[in-house]
Amino acid sequence: MSHSFPNHPPEPDAAVRLDGVTKQFGAHVAVSDLVLAIPRGSIYGLLGPNGSGKTTTLRMIMGILRPDRGSVTLLGDDSNGSARQRVGYLPEERGVYKKMKVIEHLEFLGEIRGMTRAIARQRAMTWLERLGLLRWIGKRVEDLSKGMQQKVQFIGTVLHDPELLILDEPFSGLDPINQNVLEEIVRDFHARGTTIVFSTHLMDQAERLCESVCLISRAEKVLDGDLREIKRRERSGAVAVDYDGDAGWLHGSDVDAIEHTASGVRVQLRDGGDPQALLQAAMSAGVKIRRFEIVEPTLHEVFVRHVGDETAAEAGLPSPHEGTGGAA
Amino acid sequence: MRIVMAVIRREYLQRVRSKWFVFGTIAGPLFMIAIFAISIVFGLRDEARERAIVIVDRTGVLYEGVASRLGESLEVERVEFSEGVEAVLESRIENREILGVLLLDESTLSAGRAVYRGVERPSTLRVVWIRQAVVESALEVRLQGASDAGGARALLDGGEVEYQALDGEDPEANDRRAALVVGFAGGFVLYITLLVYGIQVMRAVLEEKTTRMVEIVISVVRPGQLMLGKILGVGAVGLTQLGIWVLSFLLLLTFGLPYFLAARPELLAIQNAAEFIPQAGGLALFGVFFVLGYFLFSSLYAAVAAMCSSDEEAQQTQMPVTILLVLPMMVLAPIIEDPHGPLGTWLSLVPFFSPILMFPRFMAGAPFWQVGVSLLLMVVTIVIVAWIAGRIYRVGILMQGKRPTLPEIVRWVREA
Repeated sequence: MSHSFPNHPPEPDAAVRLDGVTKQFGAHVAVSDLVLAIPRGSIYGLLGPNGSGKTTTLRMIMGILRPDRGSVTLLGDDSNGSARQRVGYLPEERGVYKKMKVIEHLEFLGEIRGMTRAIARQRAMTWLERLGLLRWIGKRVEDLSKGMQQKVQFIGTVLHDPELLILDEPFSGLDPINQNVLEEIVRDFHARGTTIVFSTHLMDQAERLCESVCLISRAEKVLDGDLREIKRRERSGAVAVDYDGDAGWLHGSDVDAIEHTASGVRVQLRDGGDPQALLQAAMSAGVKIRRFEIVEPTLHEVFVRHVGDETAAEAGLPSPHEGTGGAA
Repeated sequence: MRIVMAVIRREYLQRVRSKWFVFGTIAGPLFMIAIFAISIVFGLRDEARERAIVIVDRTGVLYEGVASRLGESLEVERVEFSEGVEAVLESRIENREILGVLLLDESTLSAGRAVYRGVERPSTLRVVWIRQAVVESALEVRLQGASDAGGARALLDGGEVEYQALDGEDPEANDRRAALVVGFAGGFVLYITLLVYGIQVMRAVLEEKTTRMVEIVISVVRPGQLMLGKILGVGAVGLTQLGIWVLSFLLLLTFGLPYFLAARPELLAIQNAAEFIPQAGGLALFGVFFVLGYFLFSSLYAAVAAMCSSDEEAQQTQMPVTILLVLPMMVLAPIIEDPHGPLGTWLSLVPFFSPILMFPRFMAGAPFWQVGVSLLLMVVTIVIVAWIAGRIYRVGILMQGKRPTLPEIVRWVREA
């Protein structure tokens, strides 16, 4: 099952690079021969259904698991080195030291990333203020509401101003307010040049946030690259046209099928058919064009096209409309 | 190192500040002090109300002996017998002028009987004490007529039975026996502390799992560092606790004991107990066995915790480790009987049993080379156990859910 597009030439300045990484648990192959280069400064989505190997991949990037084969380079270092201190990692299993005070919990997380306690405290205060938790500073974490605990988790992840953020299913389990808070933090860090990698099984969310993506299914990479480029490549030759006037122009030689929609038509072109020619035909027929759009596939459609509908369903990939997280 | 320090610090502060620690550590010494204080207060109160005991000696020969024997801690007053003196004395007792009246007559001399009149029942101890004074004085008086009164008096002061071994065992053997008892008390203390702090390490390791913090921490702190930090952090808590206890015990001995003895002179014998506190060498060895034993068992308990996901599960899984601690306690009786026999010698060389068995045997005079060998074996075992435990830890710490089977653990150790 290799629908992989030819690999891009390796990025010279990748924040994370995986080279032929394989990980097995007993007889189960979790990740198979994965090659990845995550460009510095990008928002990168690691997409795939549950159980496809996303978490294992991220754990190998963080040096928590050692690959059986292949190599991992993290911020120019191998993933067992001190580079890990420059990463903000929010695992899917998000925890807090319940019995600790909020500020001490954050100080500890700063300290293990090599910060002094004083600086960690100062940064923690700034963040607590920004997220409106300043007056909870001396409370035990367990006394906070779940939503507030999630904010404390975000702060713990970004406290040390990481060069790279690795977030495993970061939006799952968040209430809409915290989804926005997290999205804002992500965009904020992105604007400052931080590389952001996150995994999700929600395609529409990835579509909104990511610049680059990697789709994986059943331990293998399906495709990866720049999201816009992927979509351009994956166009199916469909054009959506809303118009007023006679329909005669729609019967050109390039047109394969016509489907009527609520506002107009969806025209399926033959292989190699040129949308420009269709537009030309419409103009010369003198119809009034209200909308002319080259239809790009959704990520979900791309994924299904590559792994097949059955595999996608079997893998438990939600259809794009039943997901959560589309609030914003 | 900074990372390990952060882990140690967190572990230490969190524990030292917990209610459990404050209660357990402070309450222990407070309890001791309270017992001492209560005895002192009661003792002092007795003494403050102390009035004389009047001795009415109708024999005319007993007073000197009884008065000198009781006079050490009681005030005595002599009143000659006359008609109506009893009524006078009774009114003095009722007026709280005197504590009571001890009546000595012919039956005291012949059968050691005496009567004590008062309104406050004397303590059992005091009764025993008065009886002893009376009986000894009576015996003394009656022996005065005998030809060899001096020798008989020596008998009164108490005899001695000396043990002479047929095989020429050295005369210090008896002291060693006492030392062995002290040694086993030390072994017992080691057993309790290793068990308590081992379980604490287990809880500490489980904390990351139950709070789901493990992945965040492990992404920066290597599992080996985390395990070391946990063990050292809990160890520091243990030392703090023991330190507070030892310190308050010493303070009590230094400042409290004199008051205590002043209040309860009849308990003077407890001062002798100080003789049995092991000397510097023994204490140092105790420390060494504690530290080595702690590293050995805390690594094992850490590995157990790494395999489990909940406290309940860990409680079950820890059994084999705890059995290693309990086993030497079960063979303690035969070993006390014969500390240097084959059973004692061989078992005390098994590294897991050494702290509990070798320390008492050292106190009872085991050869230095055996102590040396046991220490060496313990160090080697610690290295091996720490290595294996570290590997189990590295894999197990991320596991949630099903507890691994033995073959799986073997695979972890090989593959980690």
